[in-house]
Order: sequence, then structure tokens, then C-alpha cells
Amino acid sequence: MASATHSLCASLASNCRVLHKQNPTFPSNSNLHLGFLSSSPSLSSRLSFSPVFSPRHTFHSLPKISNSEVEVADSEPVEAVVQSEPNGSDPESAEIVQASSEVPKREEVFAVVMIGSRQYIVFPGRFIYTQRLKGANVNDKVLLVGTRTTTYIGKPVVTNAVVHATVEEQGLDPKVIVFKYKKKKNYRRNIGHRQPNTRIRITSIAGYQDYPAVTLDS
Amino acid sequence: MNKDKIFKLAKGFRGRAKNCIRIARERVEKALQYSYRDRRNKKRDMRSLWIQRINAGTRLHGVNYGNFMHGLMKENIQLNRKVLSEISMHEPHSFKALVDISRTAFPGNKSSVVPPRKEGLSIVL
Repeated sequence: MASATHSLCASLASNCRVLHKQNPTFPSNSNLHLGFLSSSPSLSSRLSFSPVFSPRHTFHSLPKISNSEVEVADSEPVEAVVQSEPNGSDPESAEIVQASSEVPKREEVFAVVMIGSRQYIVFPGRFIYTQRLKGANVNDKVLLVGTRTTTYIGKPVVTNAVVHATVEEQGLDPKVIVFKYKKKKNYRRNIGHRQPNTRIRITSIAGYQDYPAVTLDS
Repeated sequence: MNKDKIFKLAKGFRGRAKNCIRIARERVEKALQYSYRDRRNKKRDMRSLWIQRINAGTRLHGVNYGNFMHGLMKENIQLNRKVLSEISMHEPHSFKALVDISRTAFPGNKSSVVPPRKEGLSIVL
């Protein structure tokens, strides 16, 4: 219960890996619909495009996963609280590894996105499992965006905010056995079920600057 | 074979239910029935857990859960309880912003919840 509460705006040098996105289940609760992807890791259907093509993304020509991770590892956590937008300007600044802070795998932005009528907390560079999608790769309902210093709360949506993601893999959930049984009536049904899902790698969160209802936090 | 499947599902059961096929079959059938029922119950339990967590988080700021959700509904913020409970645990500043928004939207909390009184050493801190 609420064991590791590494808060986003807490220590600057902490590696906020609270949601443990490497295994896509949250620490103690929630996201009951997500499961481990145990089927073949073949990256067959990889559709990736971003309609909002900002000139900053120079690496964006190849939709490879390694590139997206390089992009993410570029932006470092900023020490001073004065600079309120730490990401977005950093893909140009190449791989600067700061000695004072560790290199985090993700930036200090997060967003709350609604996909398939479910809401997810999303970090760039991590993947999530969603319901099976057919192809669109831009999430249009961004409900809330938070950075290290500011929070943009959408009512209900943060306008012009876009979360880019690429479809990594379309697989199946682990099998659940649906067993129906009525006693003394000789009724037994044994059915296996694997729900199709899609693994999505989040590449970037953008476009949330200049949102009017910015609340500045400490 | 069916027997092997039953024994595979009966791992960790108590006593003869993991070794003897007659008993194991019964117990495994019962376990599968429970899992069918509990896949539906899990959704209810999770939601109640999220509500408890949101309640705890908002009461730290002097707002109770009912008024908090009312304020959010008034402001047309459509975050669901799962996400709100995660934010209340891991992003306290964002959560405080949400609580403030709700408080301005629906100020019904003056007398309902008071932040806990500090006694002893914590007065000084």
C-alpha cells in the first residue's frame, strides 16, 4: 500500500520509476486490464507517423525504438526550478550526460491520456498495453499534462497537446480460462480466451505549452 | 491430458487436493468458478480502493471525497478515479492543484474536514 512514493516534484536526482512500466502492471493496484505480453516478439505491424511534425524532431525519420530511446535520453532533468519547460528544447543538445544527476530513462513530463475509453498515465519512452487499435497513432484526448514544475489540468482536455506514440506490437493477453459450472445440473463449460491488445511505445508529449490554465507549483 | 492439466492448475493447494485426482478435480473446479466471479469483483474492489485513496489524499488538504468529486464534476475535469488515486500517491503537487480547483469550484468544506491538529513535537516542526 503506497509503499514507494517517489513524487515527481520531489528530489531532483531521483529516478522516478514508480509506475514500473517495464512490467506494465502498477505496483499494488489498478490497470487490471493490462497483462504481460507473452506471445511472439515479432515487430510485424509497425505503423508510425506523426501528423504534427515539429522541426525539433530531427531523429524522427526512422520509426525504430532505439531512436526513440535516444531521443528520450537526451533531455536531462534541469536543476533550476526557474526553467519551467525542461523538455522539448533538448533533442538538439545531443547526449549531454550530467555528472550531478543520473541519466533518467524518461523525461520529467507525464500526461494522462484517454485511449479506448480508458485513461492511462503516460511517460515518454515507456510502453503501455491498450486495447487493440487499428492504426491511428496520435492520441487526441490528453486530459492532463504535468511536468516537474507545472501542471496543466484540462477541462476536460488540454488543447493542442499531443502525445505521439508508435505501435510496437499487436499481441494477445495471457489466457484466461472461463469456466462455467452449475452444480447438480451436469453443466460445465470450459472456454479459453485471449483478448487482443496492442503495445504502444510513447515517444513524446508536446504542444501543451501556452495552455491558459497553468497552475504553477513549487 | 486432462489429469495433467488439473494437476497443473492445482499447484499450491492444500493437502491431498494437489495430489489426488478426485479431490483435486473438485478443488480446481471450485477455483475456476471463483476466478470467474472474482474477475467481476476485482473491478468493484479496485474502484473502492481508489476512492479510499482519493479520500485520504484530499483529507490531508481539508476536503472530503464527496465535495472533491463534486467540484471536479462542476469544472468538467474528466479524470477517472484510477488516475486520480495514482496522482494523489505519486504527484502530490499536481494533486494539490486539483484539490484547489475543486475547492474554488465547490466551497462546501469549511466545517466538514479540518486538517489534523498537530500536537506535541509536531507543533514546533
